[in-house]
Amino acid sequence: MERIGMRTIRNTKGQMRVIETILSSFILFSALAFVNIFAVLPSSPKYETSDLEKMGHNVLHDLDEQGLLSRFVYNETEWGELALALTIFLPPDVYFDLTIRLIDAQGNPTIINKDFPIRYGSPEVFTASNSTASVSYIIPGQSYIIPEQRAEYDPRILVLQLVRG
Amino acid sequence: MIALMIISIGAIMYSAGTYYRYEQWEEYITLVEHVKLSTIRLVEISLANYTKSENNYILKDNLDQWQNDLRKAYPGYGVILTYDLTNATHQVHGTNINYSQGLAFHWNENASYSAANATFALNITSVGLEGYKFMATAFLNLTILNVDPPNDVITVAVTGEDGMPITNLRKDNFQVDELNVTTVTSHYHEDYILVYKIQCENLQSSSATVTVWDQRGIKVIAKNT
Repeated sequence: MERIGMRTIRNTKGQMRVIETILSSFILFSALAFVNIFAVLPSSPKYETSDLEKMGHNVLHDLDEQGLLSRFVYNETEWGELALALTIFLPPDVYFDLTIRLIDAQGNPTIINKDFPIRYGSPEVFTASNSTASVSYIIPGQSYIIPEQRAEYDPRILVLQLVRG
Repeated sequence: MIALMIISIGAIMYSAGTYYRYEQWEEYITLVEHVKLSTIRLVEISLANYTKSENNYILKDNLDQWQNDLRKAYPGYGVILTYDLTNATHQVHGTNINYSQGLAFHWNENASYSAANATFALNITSVGLEGYKFMATAFLNLTILNVDPPNDVITVAVTGEDGMPITNLRKDNFQVDELNVTTVTSHYHEDYILVYKIQCENLQSSSATVTVWDQRGIKVIAKNT
């Protein structure tokens, strides 16, 4: 009788281990599935947009720090140079479209380079893409070293749209 | 116990996954850096304007407009920039500067300067950033070291807000009385590290007035008496 009783106890312990393992596996897979819902992989459009936004900000910031951005933006004759500089700074598979906006007397931003698109890639690339990154950047004015010209507060808002090709 | 460990690991993995989900923090760092850089630029532009117009309220007027335009440039971010213009005496590189509305100039001396100083606090309400403080200082100092009429040469030192010499000045950046400046060359100096030798035509007197504009357009007039 004692032997039979011992076996029953041992068998019960074995069953509990199996149930425990099954439960653990279930919890583990549930946790993984739960985390997977929130994980954003590099191929995700959300990640791509954020990545492009950072890239756009960095390009404009670098050009601004070097004092090139205001020179390009405030001289219409240098808008071609600005497009070239952006093409050089950005990777070849990234298309861009830059609009320069002036704040008018009513305080509304108005695009001033409609007739001179600062763009790399066809306009269809931007309309067709479902993950376009948009970066805003404001510059307060331009400095002059010519004695006759006075530095004035004359802001321009730049909106840079980026799409990966 | 095992189940508890698994749940804990799951929670850690969840927090790691959501942390990198949008990477918003990096975007806001670049935004803060941009606002800071542009505001410093605006202070420089205002000082450049002040040294030509002598309008004491130009910095205040420009900053008031800048506050509104920042909101237009970044709609939805809740960018609020507040400022405090210096209205007291501050010492910059051993020089006592008496600011009024954040601006000051002291010209027609052997060592002359133009200066601007303001403190800013930036809030970006959409991400809960509050009270990010930074200071914007613009300073240009011009010191006449030597006037040598027999050789038509004036030696000057030009320094910026960090006390270091301004290195990118050319002939167009200088004016000497009504004289024609022929060449400007830079040379090593023991004390100032870099000085400019201004060669001009018919320098007859040792009391010369030198004007300099740096690349930001900030003007200083110094006089050797």
